[in-house]
Amino acid sequence: MNSAITTQAASADDVAERGQLDSVWKNNPGLVAWFSATTHQAIGKRYIVTAFVFLLLGGLEALLMRLQLASPENTFLGPSRYNQIFTMHGTTMMFLFAVPVMEGMGIYLVPLLLGTRNVAFPRLNAFGYWMYLAGGLFLYGAALTNTLPDAGWFAYPPLSGPEFSAGKGVDVWAQMITFTEISAMCVAVELVVTILRMRAPGMSLNRMPMFCWSMLVQSFMIIFAMPAVMITSTVLLLNDRTIGTHFVNPAEGGDPLMYQHLFWFFGHPEVYIIFLPALGMVSSILEAHSRRGVFGYPALVLSLVGNGFIAFGLWVHHMFATGLPQIGEAYFTAASMMIAITSGIQIFCWLAMLWTGRLQLTAALHFVFGFIFIFVMGGMTGVMLASIPLDLQAHDTYFVVAHFHYVLIGGALFPLFGGFHYWFPKFTGRLIGERLGKISFWILFIGFNATFFPMHAVGLQGMTRRIYTYGADMGWGTANLLSTIGAFVIAIGGLVFIVNVLRSLRQGTVADANPWDAGTLEWAADSPPASYNFTHLPVITGRYPLWTAKDSRGIVTGLRPDRREVLITSLMDAEPHHRSTLPGSSIWPLLTAAGLAIGLVGSVAAFSWYFVMTALGIIGFIGWFWPRPPLDVK
Amino acid sequence: MTTARDIDVSQLPAYDISNQSPLWWGQLMMCLIEGSMFCMLIAIYFYLRLSVDVWPPPGTVLPGITLPSLALIPLVASCAGSYWASEAAKKGDRRGMMLGLGLNLALAGVFLILRGLEWKSLNFTWASDAHGSIFWVLLFLHTYDILADLLMTAVLLVIVMTGRYGEKQRIGVHVDSVLWYFLVGIWIPLYAVLYWGPHILGAPR
Repeated sequence: MNSAITTQAASADDVAERGQLDSVWKNNPGLVAWFSATTHQAIGKRYIVTAFVFLLLGGLEALLMRLQLASPENTFLGPSRYNQIFTMHGTTMMFLFAVPVMEGMGIYLVPLLLGTRNVAFPRLNAFGYWMYLAGGLFLYGAALTNTLPDAGWFAYPPLSGPEFSAGKGVDVWAQMITFTEISAMCVAVELVVTILRMRAPGMSLNRMPMFCWSMLVQSFMIIFAMPAVMITSTVLLLNDRTIGTHFVNPAEGGDPLMYQHLFWFFGHPEVYIIFLPALGMVSSILEAHSRRGVFGYPALVLSLVGNGFIAFGLWVHHMFATGLPQIGEAYFTAASMMIAITSGIQIFCWLAMLWTGRLQLTAALHFVFGFIFIFVMGGMTGVMLASIPLDLQAHDTYFVVAHFHYVLIGGALFPLFGGFHYWFPKFTGRLIGERLGKISFWILFIGFNATFFPMHAVGLQGMTRRIYTYGADMGWGTANLLSTIGAFVIAIGGLVFIVNVLRSLRQGTVADANPWDAGTLEWAADSPPASYNFTHLPVITGRYPLWTAKDSRGIVTGLRPDRREVLITSLMDAEPHHRSTLPGSSIWPLLTAAGLAIGLVGSVAAFSWYFVMTALGIIGFIGWFWPRPPLDVK
Repeated sequence: MTTARDIDVSQLPAYDISNQSPLWWGQLMMCLIEGSMFCMLIAIYFYLRLSVDVWPPPGTVLPGITLPSLALIPLVASCAGSYWASEAAKKGDRRGMMLGLGLNLALAGVFLILRGLEWKSLNFTWASDAHGSIFWVLLFLHTYDILADLLMTAVLLVIVMTGRYGEKQRIGVHVDSVLWYFLVGIWIPLYAVLYWGPHILGAPR
């Protein structure tokens, strides 16, 4: 009797507290408020939706290329248009889709998985999104005026230099990188700090979900790798093109090969920046679907961290054909083969989970199976390409194109789709259609292999990448036609996926908080989560809080509900350290990003626009940081 | 409803001005990003040096060792101002913050004058040759960063002087010092590379 009364009283308190929390955290209606939102859910969703739009654009570009290559001596696109399209395809997929979509998933999910209310720097988070959006609009806006880059997604000089690439296309490409990398670095900083200092009490590092580990390693990789590409694209390439520096000009002591080194010092880690979050998603899906804890947690974590380190020692394997000293090349061969160890360990851990678990064969799990199959095949060609003699033969052929589509689509896109199906109820509050989900998986899986498997063969037969056509006598017609048909099958699969998402958004079964009966904290929040995520932050006693007995779970009390207060915990053991008040909505991140964007876009025309950028940036940042009442947080 | 596992955090401090504050960690990550950037630029410097015979190219006039070495004195000393301000921020001592930030700005100003003289004595531009390009980029980016941080310091000084500040702004004063230590610290290897480098490894190979 007594306990029943206290329960009732407590839940009445809860309702009042929920109301108060919601009024403090929710995004207000109205246009200005929409542009001022700083909650991780809003920003995360915007990243994901925007990135999927760019996936669609990049996919359309791929279809155009496949149409051109469908038959020998085709004149559908013509050489210069073809150059532009493959440059846009690679650039869009790498910079505007793959990294941002992983960031979006991280921004949305990490605070939920950690049991906190938002990321550590909410306004920086919004700022990063606006920079990303501005960069994408910049590239595609320029494309509408027929200013397209055409030197490939890595824009090697001297081809991309002032001498051989007239026009502004390459300049736009180079400065677009600045936008997307600033965005990625903002996300990296806030996720590192969120993961290290805002975990729920008791969530020591060795209890942290695998997805958070993958985002942590990925964020550190961004911090160390992305500065390299900003220097490559702006300092080396753009300055050489616009103000006459000589970094890649051999006539004045510069060196184009240096560009390749610096680009791939970023470019190789970039692949893992895309791929690691996907690995985290695979672990998350598998632990929920096999109804068991993750197999080999320490091995998986160490492999992720190992991947992160080794990724920085691989870049020269993109440059084996440049005639570097053999001893150096040998080192990079060894390092490239080493990555197979850390990746292999993870594959075996997942196989063990599949072997010993009780599987639910959902659409999400289908995508994980697809991932294992495709990624292992891509990994095998990767080990082959790490060997210098083979690489010298296959360099710049369709064999390489097949390899990196197997590892990127297999290694990142399939897990992403799996993760999207898995977390769809959390994002939207509705279950995603399982039947259409499985159908879209099979169409995508068959289409993918039909497109890319024949490329291994034509590559070994000598078809080089980035050629706009080929002679009928080469005998590559059938394989290419098959690839083109496959590409359209992928497009149909994509269409089914979109139909499924739109249908499920309207008619999907309403999901409860934990439809998969999973063990991690995001499933303790409502579906979709309340603006403050949790009424009471949870107290953690194990790796799978929702799988532990109800009476062994605890809650955090004493956080103030009348402002955006979060709990800061210690680095290793997540013991409560102090409270901290996060900022609310603000229009300044958008204004600052807009100011910087104006200057950066102008800088393509003249260096002096950097001063405009500086001036507008100063105004933006002072507005952003100007103290607003209440000043006192006690 | 309450169980033994519940934790009441209402007694914990509502803010923290120390290396436990999230903003301090954010600033640390910012320093890592900038540090990677400068490491990359130093790598470029040596890479470019490898591909020519004489470094810098004959006829290049550098400001010598004396002026840049003298400039180090006010730069390193300005950290004292930063430290003073950041310790005062922890205690909430307004006068200490003003004096510390002011000292930081004044000494940095002296440094900037010497930096200007350094810059004026160059007889080459970014467009002269590869050495000119990397020299200018390093000097420009470091000066740009210094100016950005000084601007931030000046804004903080205005905020403290007008009394429009609370705990958040005090955390701002504290982490501002972290970035300043970094910018001063990173200049020492950059100074060594730019000014001692040609003496040590500039001779014909």
